[in-house]
Amino acid sequence: MLLVLKNIGEQNNLFLAAVMLYLIAAVFALALMKHHKLCNLVTNTICMAAALIGIAAAILRISTDTILTPVTIFESRITFLFLEIKIDQLSAFFVLCLSVLVLCVSIYSIGYNSHYYQKRNVGFFNFLYASFIMSMLMVIISGNAIFFYLSWEAMSLISYFLVIFESEHEENRRAGRLYIIMTHLGTAFLLIGFMIMFAYTQSFDMFGSSELIPEMAKNLMFICFLIGFGTKAGVIPLHIWLPYAHPAAPSNVSALMSGFMIKTAIYGLIRFVLCYLQVQQVWWGAVILCIGIVSAVLGVAYAIMEHNIKRLLAFHSVENIGIILIGLGVSFIAAAQNNDFLSGLALVAALLHTFNHALFKGGLFLGAGSLQYATHTKDIEKLGGLIHKMPVTAVMVLCFSLAISAIVPFNGFISEWLTYQALFLNINMGMAGQNILSILSIAALALSGALAAACFVKLFGISFLGLPRSDDAAQAKEVPLAMNIGMGILAALCLIIGVFPAVFVKLADQVAGSILGASVVETLQSGFMSATVPLAVSENSIAPAEILAALAVVILMVLLTLRLCFGKLKARKYGTWDCGFESINARMQYTATGFSKPIRIVLSILYRPGRKVVIEKGESDYFPKSVKYQVWTEPIFEKYLYNPVIRVLKSGSEKMICLVQTGSVHVYLLYIFISILALMFYNRVV
Amino acid sequence: MSDMILYFIVQTGFVILAAPLVNGIIKKIKALSQKRTGAPVLQMYYDLFKLFKKTSVVSDVSSWIFRVTPYIVFATAVAAAMIVPVTTLIKPVWNTGDVILLVYILALGRFFMMLAALDTGSTFGGMGASREAMISALIEPSILVSLITVGLIAKSTAVFPIMTFMQTVQNPLIHPVYLMIFCALLIVIIAETSRIPVDDPSTHLELTMVHEAMLLEYSGRSLALMELAAAIKQLVFITLLVNLFLPHDQLIGIHGIAAIGISLLIYLAKVFIAALLIGIVEVNTVKLRLFSIPNLAALSFILSFIGFLQFFAFGG
Repeated sequence: MLLVLKNIGEQNNLFLAAVMLYLIAAVFALALMKHHKLCNLVTNTICMAAALIGIAAAILRISTDTILTPVTIFESRITFLFLEIKIDQLSAFFVLCLSVLVLCVSIYSIGYNSHYYQKRNVGFFNFLYASFIMSMLMVIISGNAIFFYLSWEAMSLISYFLVIFESEHEENRRAGRLYIIMTHLGTAFLLIGFMIMFAYTQSFDMFGSSELIPEMAKNLMFICFLIGFGTKAGVIPLHIWLPYAHPAAPSNVSALMSGFMIKTAIYGLIRFVLCYLQVQQVWWGAVILCIGIVSAVLGVAYAIMEHNIKRLLAFHSVENIGIILIGLGVSFIAAAQNNDFLSGLALVAALLHTFNHALFKGGLFLGAGSLQYATHTKDIEKLGGLIHKMPVTAVMVLCFSLAISAIVPFNGFISEWLTYQALFLNINMGMAGQNILSILSIAALALSGALAAACFVKLFGISFLGLPRSDDAAQAKEVPLAMNIGMGILAALCLIIGVFPAVFVKLADQVAGSILGASVVETLQSGFMSATVPLAVSENSIAPAEILAALAVVILMVLLTLRLCFGKLKARKYGTWDCGFESINARMQYTATGFSKPIRIVLSILYRPGRKVVIEKGESDYFPKSVKYQVWTEPIFEKYLYNPVIRVLKSGSEKMICLVQTGSVHVYLLYIFISILALMFYNRVV
Repeated sequence: MSDMILYFIVQTGFVILAAPLVNGIIKKIKALSQKRTGAPVLQMYYDLFKLFKKTSVVSDVSSWIFRVTPYIVFATAVAAAMIVPVTTLIKPVWNTGDVILLVYILALGRFFMMLAALDTGSTFGGMGASREAMISALIEPSILVSLITVGLIAKSTAVFPIMTFMQTVQNPLIHPVYLMIFCALLIVIIAETSRIPVDDPSTHLELTMVHEAMLLEYSGRSLALMELAAAIKQLVFITLLVNLFLPHDQLIGIHGIAAIGISLLIYLAKVFIAALLIGIVEVNTVKLRLFSIPNLAALSFILSFIGFLQFFAFGG
């Protein structure tokens, strides 16, 4: 089958076919608007087909080295204004990422969207859904900066409509507003970067050479791209839109947004900074590394304090973007120092973590959607005991939780291990600044890993274990099969990559090799391809398959030995130990707030927690009628960074309006006169 | 092949069998310092034997997580034991022993232990899990920074090459770098093995317990597995400490089975010294308030960080 496809020769056609299918899906969604069920089924099926084509095309593209001829899809009289598709191995890798995620999310959506039937405009939702995927795909495969910019803008706008889809809630509209302002702030910086690019090279070709651009302008471009892409990726301190926008969107959309949309920024950074500008300075990498450290630690630290499951996951996206940026930072530093091997290794780590994060974070958002579908709440304090009601969902959420906490034998561990190895190799005798930064990154990775584990023990333990804390949780039922299949594929992939990483590392290595010219795998010891051969960097190696086998053997041996020596396991069911009082009820359990309290106290300098206790007195002081306990943490960045800026902007613009718009016609005539003069002067000069 | 079998037998069998002994020694030292006779050194073996035979009581609130956790925790402890060689004279045949893996494989066990604690809906479990989450998060950076610093000097992150390298260092503890990291790791071990001043293994008072609170609902065979796993984990950390910083294999002139035997005997002696050290620390300190533990963890991190700076940022 693959061979036949290869013989067609034009792999570009496959990518175009995928784009067209998404377009068809969008059209069908609008056409079948009246029939909710049919519309949902048809649109998602077409999306699945498009995703499958995307996967095939991407794998073919990554494994062949030939340079594909670019396809021009729109030409105009203006020389630089044309739309062109160009797909190299880097684009193909991100297409693969997107397509795998879309496949699973679309299967899931068949079940998930059913709660919108007869309540909302399912046709319009699916139209937005399909065109959102199409816009993300076009961002990745666009061949020049103009097309990139247009697709980027389309992606931002369509996702804005998806964020405010449930617009009857004020908080969702607010989230959408914040999102669209922040994302345009970032886009503005991108535009400045592209303009500098055009000013010096007279072209928007992002695959071209940047030799004509002087050093200072390159630095400026780097800063513009960093802010522009950083806003989309949600790095701290540009992250504030993320914890509002992701919870507001429907869960299948948040899975796409968190799983892939924020990764387009990673794609942008690699494409424009590493490939186009060819990393000139060591400090570029150092800045990215610092941002990575801060985002990784603060992202997870804020996540622990959240009890809205989707906000919690959104903060974890900040953390994981931080981890990806740590890898990318090392890669940039090494590239600037012409250390191709290390640069490649770090890039492989970053790319693999991008892929892994798409899998487990996409899965976790789908899991959050399942919880919301079954219990109608996003607040984990109201859940509990769901492992008995939703056993399949529970197993899959547990898999994703282990993966995101970088625990053996899941995929998160593999990419973090490679990141650790890259940092390890980045430490050399005598380079004090770089060494300190690297060891701090190692500490930050360790801290964020342990805090992530704490956070996901909280998430899983409070929502799935123990006794149900509300009627909704007590009456929850397992979700439809389609939802579980969608999540199941993602969970299986997480485990497969975790146990047999070699194939996937090889894939990422081919991409990194195409960018940096040197393959990491070839210089490594032992064959990378076969699954049982350990992953090796220099002499350091791990073999997850062997570890898993060892764990299984130990468990079997223990079961066998105990059975033979001490007989069959005897167990008796009884209530939980209640210290001899009356039986335990759900309200006596530890809450999510209680669980995170030690960390809240230890890191109180960061959270600045506050609390309020309101006691309504009864007849005796010992029997109050009601006690209300409220605890909160202070959003530092919003309070001390954004609010002052907003205040200054607001008062400044109010004053400006008074100054400029005086209401006098004479003054307005003067403005026109000055503008004409300025334009004439400009024409003389240019 | 015979090497492989020997390695697995020594690493698993030897460590599993010797692990409860360390607890016995520490308890005996504590008892002697308090002018008590104390329980016999082999008491933990008797306890385990008894517990393995007993019926366990399982909470009716709990799920399969509660039931599988003892096996997972035990398996991760044994897997950790396979990574940390007790002697460098037997070459490990599986090349997957990495310090990063060591930390994350123990994290798997801890993850499930914390989940099992929340599974029964008991307040004690939640309390223990919540405290354990805090302590492990605080201690993790210092354990990785110190192990990776030693790894950088040995130019590898795999445990066996690091250990082999340390055999060539003359009296590591007189070098400031190794001394700093030794102290940092000692604090890590105390925290990881739930000992005074971080946690008190002999208390069952809700104000103070951490590790014990998580095990409160366990009984019978499950409890025995959990206790044994904790003892193995303790011995793994002690092994790491003594084999890195008190190297002895270069002292043995001969090769072959006899050398391995001698090496194991010296290893046991070193473990005894380490147990003595931990016992003395335990006798002479009081349990810290829960919210003073961050200071101890910070001390450990700073020690490991200074150790790193001394060598890599400023050279030698």
